[in-house]
Parts: sequence; C-alpha cells; structure tokens
Amino acid sequence: MTDNFSRRDFLKLASVGAATTAILTGCGPASRYVTREPYTQMPEYTYNGQSTYYATTCRECAAGCGLVVRTMQGRALKVEGNKNHPANLGKTCVRGQATLHGLYNPDRVQDPAKQSKRGSRDFSNMDWDAAIAVVADALKNTDPAGVAFLMGMAPDHLFDLVSDLAKAVGAPTPIRFGALGMFEARATLGKAVENLFGQAAMPFFDLGKSDLVFSFGANFLETWLAPVAFTRGFANMRRGGGHGRGTLVHFEPRMSQTASKADMWIPITPGTEGLVALAIGRIAAEARGATSAAFENVDVEAIASASGVSAEKLDELGKLFASADAALAIPGGAALAHSNGLETAEAVLALNALVGGLGRAGGVLLAPLAPMQTEFSRPANIAEMADFVEKMKGGKIKTLFVHGVNPVFELPKSLGFEDALKSVGTVISFATFPDETAMQADYVFPDHHGLESWGYQRVAAGSSQSALSGAQPVVSPYYNTRATADVFLAAAASAGGALAQALPFKDEVEFIQSKLVALVGEGDGYFGAPEINTFTAYFQQYGGWWKTVEELSTPSGDVLGKAIKVGEAKFAGEGEFYLHPFVSPVLGEAGANKPWLQEVPDPTTTVMWGSWVEIHPETAHELGVDNDDVVLITSEAGAVEAVVYKYPAIRPDTIAMPFGQGHSAYGRYAEGRGSNPADLFGEQVNDAGDLAFAGMRVKVEKTGKTYPLARLESRMGVYGEALGEEH
Amino acid sequence: MTIELKIPEYSANWAEGEQQGKWGMAIDMDICTGCQACVAACAMENNIPFVGEADSGYGRSMHWIRTERFWEGEFPEIKMTPYQPVLCQQCGHAPCEPVCPAFATVHSQAEALNLQVYNRCVGTRYCANNCPYQVRSFNWRDYERPEPLPNQLNPDVTVRRRGVMEKCTFCIQRIHRAQDQAKAEGREVADGEFTTACAQACPADAIVFGRIDDPESAVSKLAGGARGFHMLEELGTLPAVTYLKGG
Repeated sequence: MTDNFSRRDFLKLASVGAATTAILTGCGPASRYVTREPYTQMPEYTYNGQSTYYATTCRECAAGCGLVVRTMQGRALKVEGNKNHPANLGKTCVRGQATLHGLYNPDRVQDPAKQSKRGSRDFSNMDWDAAIAVVADALKNTDPAGVAFLMGMAPDHLFDLVSDLAKAVGAPTPIRFGALGMFEARATLGKAVENLFGQAAMPFFDLGKSDLVFSFGANFLETWLAPVAFTRGFANMRRGGGHGRGTLVHFEPRMSQTASKADMWIPITPGTEGLVALAIGRIAAEARGATSAAFENVDVEAIASASGVSAEKLDELGKLFASADAALAIPGGAALAHSNGLETAEAVLALNALVGGLGRAGGVLLAPLAPMQTEFSRPANIAEMADFVEKMKGGKIKTLFVHGVNPVFELPKSLGFEDALKSVGTVISFATFPDETAMQADYVFPDHHGLESWGYQRVAAGSSQSALSGAQPVVSPYYNTRATADVFLAAAASAGGALAQALPFKDEVEFIQSKLVALVGEGDGYFGAPEINTFTAYFQQYGGWWKTVEELSTPSGDVLGKAIKVGEAKFAGEGEFYLHPFVSPVLGEAGANKPWLQEVPDPTTTVMWGSWVEIHPETAHELGVDNDDVVLITSEAGAVEAVVYKYPAIRPDTIAMPFGQGHSAYGRYAEGRGSNPADLFGEQVNDAGDLAFAGMRVKVEKTGKTYPLARLESRMGVYGEALGEEH
Repeated sequence: MTIELKIPEYSANWAEGEQQGKWGMAIDMDICTGCQACVAACAMENNIPFVGEADSGYGRSMHWIRTERFWEGEFPEIKMTPYQPVLCQQCGHAPCEPVCPAFATVHSQAEALNLQVYNRCVGTRYCANNCPYQVRSFNWRDYERPEPLPNQLNPDVTVRRRGVMEKCTFCIQRIHRAQDQAKAEGREVADGEFTTACAQACPADAIVFGRIDDPESAVSKLAGGARGFHMLEELGTLPAVTYLKGG
C-alpha cells in the first residue's frame, strides 16, 4: 500500500482484486494460498479487529522451532512460539522474533531475473515460464554428473525433493552446508558419538535435570544446535528441580554470552580443552575411587602448565565433577575447532561415562531421529566442501543450483569458492535475498520467504520427542516469487521422461503429502488421522507432528576401557595472538539484513550495527590502540580490518571476532558493514573434517584509522571519549 | 464448519474508584541469559522504529527494554554482573509524572500504570530527564521504514512520530484485549491468560507478568520471595517490576 492512496485508487484496486481472486481460486499452486483480499471482500473468517493465527516453522536457523504467527487482513504482524511444539514450547529467540523484517525486507529479490554478467548486478527480469524452461533445460541437457545441488540446512522438504530429483537424473547427492553447522562443529560431535558409542547420532544433553554442567566451548545459550531448547534446559537447571540450584562451569578463552552466565568461567589456553577434560577425568576418577583406563596415563601437572589452569584449580574442578549428583559435560563450538577437536570431543563425552552420565536423567543421551528419518545426517564439513570446490575448479560441475545457503559469504575465503564459480557453466540461485552468491549467479529465481512457504523441517537437536515441524504460508507471497520446489516440479514435468516419472507431483503440497502419508496411522502421535487430507489439515493446524512420548536412547560402548589420547593442538600461521571467532549471538549466520536485528545490542559488548575485534585492555595498550581504532588482522590465509573493542574478559593472548557482518551484498542494512572473519580462515581441519577455525595465530597491526562503534553501553561512548573522559 | 467466535464489545467505561487490576512483573536475573529475545519481541509488538547506526551511536536508539550488564574485577578474576533487563518500572510514585507540563505523562488509575499520551506530548523531554531508570526514549526524527516494512506494524499500537516521548506500556493493548475478552465472557481476567511480548518470547521464562494484587498469581509469588528487590529502591518510586537476584 502506498502512502498516498485515494478513494478512486482504492475502488480501482478493489475491482482488479475481484478479477484476480477469480483467477487465483482456480487450480494450480497459487490456490493453496490465502490471498490478500481488498477490504470489501474479506474472507469469512476475518472479523475486523480480530487476528488470524497460523502455525509454521522458523527458518532463521535449522533448529526447527515452531512458530505461531499473528496475521491480520493478510499481513503478518507478530511471531510467537508454538506452545505445543517440543523444540521450543512456545518460545522464540531474537532471530525468530525478527523474521518479519526478512519477510517485509525492502531488499528482497522480487522477480526471477537473469544477470547479464556475473557480479555486474545488471539483472533483467524474466517470467516464470522462461525461468522454468531454463531449469528444465539445465536438468535435461547437462551431463548428470555435472549437475550439482548446494542446499542450506533448512528446509528439509526441499532437500528431500532435490535428493529425489538428483537420483532421478543420476546426479550426485545434493550437498548441504551452513556456516552455523561449521561453527557448531556438528560433524565432529557426530563423529565423536560414533567413535565412542558405535552409532552415529545427535547427542541429547539433558541440561534441565543436571545439577552441574561443564561446558567446553559449547555456546548453547547463543546459536549452538538448538539455543531455545538449551536456554529452557539452562533455566530449569538453575531453578534446580530435585537438586537445588545447578552450577555452570564454562571453559573458553573469551567470556562469551554463555560463559557470562557461568558460575565459574575458566579462560583456558585455546586448544587445551581436551587435555583439561582428561585431567578432570583423572582427578574425578580418583575422587570416586574408580580406576579407569581412559584417564590412567594423564599427567595433571603437564596439563596445568599447558592450559593455564592451575593444578589446584584442576583438582577443585575434578572433585566438584566427581561429587555432583548429575554432572554433565558438553563439548562444542570453538573447543572442537582445533586440529585435536575430535579427540577433545571424545575426552569430554567420556567424562560423562565416568560419572554414570550416559543414559541418565541430567546426562548424555541420544536424541531420537525425526519421523520419517532413517539415519542420522549432518551437513557437509569443510573437508567435503573443499572437495566440492576442487570439483568446481576442475570444471567438473556444469550447472550449480544454490538454495538456502550463501557460500560466497559463509565459506572460508581461502577455499576459493567465488573463484571456482568461474569454472561452472551455469549458476542458478534461488535466493530470497540478494546475497553474495546470488550476485555471482547467472540466474536468480527467488524462492518465497519462509513465512510464505510450505514445508517441513526435522527437529534434529534439543527435543526428547521425535518431531517433524510443519511449515505453511502465513501470508500470500508478497512478490513475484515462486517456491523452489514448484520450480523443480514444473521443470521436471516439462523435461519429461524419467524426471517427470520420478516426480509426478502437481505442486509442492502434493509432494509434501506424499512424504507425510507414511505418518498416517502412526501411533503415539500428537494427533492421529485416518487419511492424508485430514492428517495434512491437522499438520498445518498444529504446526507439525511429533511423538507424545520421549524416545531418548542410552549410549553404550566401552568408553572408559582404553586410554584416551588428546594430542597437542596445531596452530596455523604466524603471529602473537590466537584468533577466536564466534557466531554473533544476535545476527547468527544470516541476520545482518534485518534492520531491527542490527539495532539489537550484542549481549556482551552492546555493539549495534557493526562488527568488532575484542582485545584485552592491556594488550590494546601494548599495541597502542584504543576503542574504535581500526586494526589490520593478518592470518596465513588473508587479512581483514576490524574496529577495536577493549574487552575486559578475554585472555590477553587471544583476540575474538564475531561472524555475521562484513557483507558485500545482501541488501542495504547488511552491505558494507563490518568485516567477516571467514576471510581469515585457512583450510586446516580436524580429524572429523570440520574446520579448525580456532586453531589460528594472527598478527594485529594498527592502521591509524578510527571508526566509532555504535554501542548501547555508555551513551557518552562516542563523543565522551573524544572529550578525553573515561566512561 | 462453523467457527464460534466470542467477539468482545469494545468499551472504555471505567468508573471512578474502580480498580481494574494492578499489573506487575518479576524478572529472574539468575535465569536471564541476556539473549535479547525480549528486546526484539518488544520492538515487533510495539512498532518501535529502528534509528540506524549513526543515531544509535549517539544514544538515540528507541529500545523500550534493554539488558544491562556491568563488569566487576579484572582478568582473570573478572565477573559480569547478571544480565538485567531494564524497562519502564511502572512506578507507583513516578518521578516522570509531576514534571510533565502537558499532562502527557500521567498515572492511570484504571490500570495503575504510567501512561504516555502521545497526542498530548510536546517533547519537552522533562520526563526523560527525571526518570532514574533511563527508560524513556525520544523520537528525534521521523524514522524511515521503507516499504514494505510498514506491513508489519501492529494495528493495536500507535505509530509515533517526531517530537514525541515514548516508553514501555506493559503492552497495554494486550491488557485491554484480555480485559475486553474477559468482560465479554462475564469473568475476571485469569492469571497467565495473556502476557507481555517480552515475557511471551523469553526462552528462559525469566520474565513473568501478571496481577500483582492477586497474592496467588505467579508474579506475586516470585516477587514476594527472598531474592526479590526493586531497582533503585531507595528512591521510593514504588516500581511494579521486581528483580530476583542473580547468582
């Protein structure tokens, strides 16, 4: 609606609206949507001043939290959590709240378009028939081995469809990637579970029933795996069910948001987390009078000197861990992003076995697979992505489809993804927003925003019940976008042959129903239905389908039978500082284009609208830099400029940088703001193939430039310091 | 299928002396993780404009709720004080009220809240100067919301313009909606029937909102506990927000 809207215009629009409505109610995918009606023809369920609520799934990360969106007259007004949903029980995080600023973002891709030259930003709009013809042609006339699908960690229904499609064409299995998966070190966690318990699965950390949590780098209150579920668990731990107030001990070189909630923050030397876990294991085993081969040959003194945690402190921690009723040790995040990360994950998980924490309430269990899921799956690790980029460079990929991920921004720059794109014949992006990867594509065929989309997402972490989260459009598509699933289905139909036979679906909803049909008649569900149409209706109404019973399983295996070895972490590059990258707790991997997320202050630094590098005040003094000075950070792989934030709670030998800003595209609110630590990342990986992003040494140099950071703390900050005042 | 809707009749017929409820909030700082979900939820519910980088840097951001944290000690023995979400404390004896020359900052007897009447406000900013909690924010400009962002605006909440002071209202639009609904059904508003946007979003359930005049309500029980305290209690402002001490 424009601001200047005369009555005459209104009448004109109303009559056009009436005509369009008649067309839209015909057959075809568009009829699946609730359309925005003129005020004269409100749908019968609309009562002026009353809202309509739709259940759907949040797409800001892959956790699959259930949302209920308040809409009025075809507009989405407010996002709330779905109270019945096992992942989030009615709650949302900051990114979920701001998802509406993605839906109504002024910089969305509005039409399918062809770019005259990659990177030129000279787009000419196409119509959807032509777009579908391009996709059909690419599927039909490319050698199947040269077709590649690069997908994000959400949504799962599209990944399933593309997997079926790839199988039908004979193309390689689609690859999934997301920067959050990289920072979470998901592959390492999964591999460690497999090595210890002989079964690849997502561990379930039962925070809520624990009374003592040792977290080794796991930023579970920020972005790690399922932050809303973990925050609920943390709150329950603090409220202290049967145990009294629970205690949190956090090991990390920098005080993260999670560390700031800890009763004890241990600023450990980067890369020694696994060694410290071994020392704690040894002391705890002794305190419990148990002998365990796993921790037998551990040299506590040597570990104390390597980690910077004194032997007395280790002794205190070990005894504390041994004496708790329900102790829990969690490995995650930067602690696993070292060359010894897999060993660290195993050592930390083994601590749980030592105190009988495997399969116990308040310990480590194995999360159930989602409905219709047959085996544990994880996104690609960096080793696999590096192979993929090599294939691209070798000219083996002729056509690349990209959806739900922004690899040009999210992958380490040193992998050379952007460069490798030059060797790919055709790049087709399905981006909703004009991100960096879309700017390097030949075609952009925009998908709907998540709140305009059908779909489902498997709940992988944080739920003790097996859950499939359902998505439905809460508003009709605002722009001339089209569901990527519908584009592929139409392309398959027009390509004909085996493709059309493999995907004989009229539209996305029919495809989703073809998958959901497996759940009809399934027992122990939140609801049941005798046939698929009723089932789908309930699936939409309740926002998914989940079991009403917990299905956690007990990990087994001889964890403590043989000695656990943790090698020394190797650091890539020269320089006097450890680099400690972390995901911005507010922006996550893709929040930078939402203006209200930009204006939400970072919890620990209170910085808004920018990125920064955290340096200990004394270190800054030695370097001759102050707040708001710009420094040049150089790693073995690259260099970035960043603004100094003197952070009092970081090791003096470590600097920390948030990931989330530093976009060179992605709309007006993101572009040209801050810097991206991924530009510094090398290619060192751990034994599970995850990037060793914390295993780096960097140089820091003063540039002489300054840039005032907007921050909420010290309202005098910006000009107060210029006046020479301390705040 | 027919849908039965109980549509309330809207009316604002409050009679002198009638107490419709006194609302209060309890915030558990031991549980608050500083995640900022409340900050975003509040902004989305209440049509709060974003002001951009430059104005944010000058301290002109419009947050109605913010999380505060301070530092104690030095590395490595440094501690962060527990996150404290700070919003209008809805004082019973509010320093902002007597200084307003335009009666824009007034005490509502019906809800026992501090109101901000936007169309009376002439922008003297006396109230913000006098607020010890620094929770009032002033519209220094008409902040731009490029199309189609205005689609998201909540029709229950006024969009403020330049020269007007604003602050947390305890989501008064939700209070009224619940009261109207209860009245239409001929009953009292039940505890937990509705809540504010911040409390609704809070993943840790650290923020609890409800009737503070009902001793059986969840908020009363929390606020009456041993850990409860009021911010700047010594000023005698009688806040309706009770904080629970963090560890």
